[in-house]
Amino acid sequence: MTHPGTDVLAEFRAGLITGHRGDRIAAHLAGCEQCTAVDAQLAGLPALLAAIPPPAVPPNVAQRLDQVLAAEVAHRDEAERAPQHAPPRLAGASRRRIRRGFRLPSLRVLTPIAAAAAILAAGGYGLSQLSSGDTASSSAAAGSAASSVAVSTAPKAQALTPQGTAGNHQEQPISFVYLTSHTDFGPATLTRQLEEDLGEAPAAAGAVAVMPAAVRGCVAHVASGDSIIRVETARYQGQATTVIFTRNGQADRALITSPDCSGTSGHVVATRNLPAGISGP
Amino acid sequence: MPDADGAWPSDTELLRRHVAGDAEAFGELFRRHRDRLWAVALRTVCDPEEAADALQDAMVSAFRRAGDFRGESAVTTWLHRIVVNASLDRLRRRAGRPAVSAGDEETFEALMTHEGDPARASDTRMDVDAALRILPPPQRAALVVVDMLGFSVADAAVILDISPGTVKSRCARARARLLPHVEHLKGNRTASESVSPAQGGETTL
Repeated sequence: MTHPGTDVLAEFRAGLITGHRGDRIAAHLAGCEQCTAVDAQLAGLPALLAAIPPPAVPPNVAQRLDQVLAAEVAHRDEAERAPQHAPPRLAGASRRRIRRGFRLPSLRVLTPIAAAAAILAAGGYGLSQLSSGDTASSSAAAGSAASSVAVSTAPKAQALTPQGTAGNHQEQPISFVYLTSHTDFGPATLTRQLEEDLGEAPAAAGAVAVMPAAVRGCVAHVASGDSIIRVETARYQGQATTVIFTRNGQADRALITSPDCSGTSGHVVATRNLPAGISGP
Repeated sequence: MPDADGAWPSDTELLRRHVAGDAEAFGELFRRHRDRLWAVALRTVCDPEEAADALQDAMVSAFRRAGDFRGESAVTTWLHRIVVNASLDRLRRRAGRPAVSAGDEETFEALMTHEGDPARASDTRMDVDAALRILPPPQRAALVVVDMLGFSVADAAVILDISPGTVKSRCARARARLLPHVEHLKGNRTASESVSPAQGGETTL
């Protein structure tokens, strides 16, 4: 018999070749040093492979996973408290029941007054109203929003909190700029691009615009609970993305979201920590 | 973290807590197995960036689908299955782009050398990781799960969603293909060189 190939020996060793063919291979092995040596090597291979320690997760990957997981936890938390995308057939009474205890910061688009400018303020109402039965504060909020005047195009925009409505809520009011730009961010140059982007006033970086519902949903989905200072619709590696700039104490962070990011789907595909203060106080 | 009575919660218990709404349970469960899951993803897709994406996809999927876990297998088996699926999905999506090939070995080794702590990355690991790349992904996944991570053929069949016989067959073919590329790692030159090249199985490549 000619020497069996390594693949045949491996299958034989795995018990996949039996019967007459198996007997012939066994007989050959008994009398062939060369094939016995190959068989011994095959026998030792699993142990050789098992002895290699698994590579540790690189720190940047671990950080990203933690970030994405935190967003998932926050999103689930929020979804359980206030199902923003509850089917329309859900009765109002049920919504109120589910919503009880809702206290997450939410976002609100204020009517843009100054040319092409919009400021978003989290005054404790807004998205939550989509599932809210609290009609009194809803209408009060809407009225105040429509008459809000102070708007700025600068990144250092003052917080806009309609008087008489935010008092019902626990959160500190925050504001941020929303704009669209033509920037196409890339992984290799991301930090530099973000810093340049933040260094420019919104008017120079891109058009300040009214925030579409999908972007609003995306922000609530991946960054609820974060202190948001700026949201930008741009591109990342050629794909549409929502870039969310958040602030925690002195540290700023940019979250690049997946193209499908909305109120119900999407995730953070990249994050970058930015030098404190680069985007203003 | 240990429970009040000092015991570490089991994987199943952590998953149950997660489904019940515990915000910390899934993170603890995932971190417990993260290195092994990373190893599966990295060695299956052979690209650190793709592996990170695959592991992230898998983590999100496991987080959201935890309620579907029926306890028919161990939690680790279930987690590995999700990671393998996410990894093979990534490879399928990448299929339109330049394919994985033996010609990429140098690039891959450069990547492996570049990432992580060079002092900790053993030569053996880099060589094997590079050699794994010559295998077709299904064989590679089987070899990683059975030989590198030590799962039984039965568990591997669940993880890979194939029959136990197919697990054995893929592993056998993968070992035969890999052997000529890793045998030198044993430091057993004499044994290696006593085998004629015709026995090496390269012709099947």
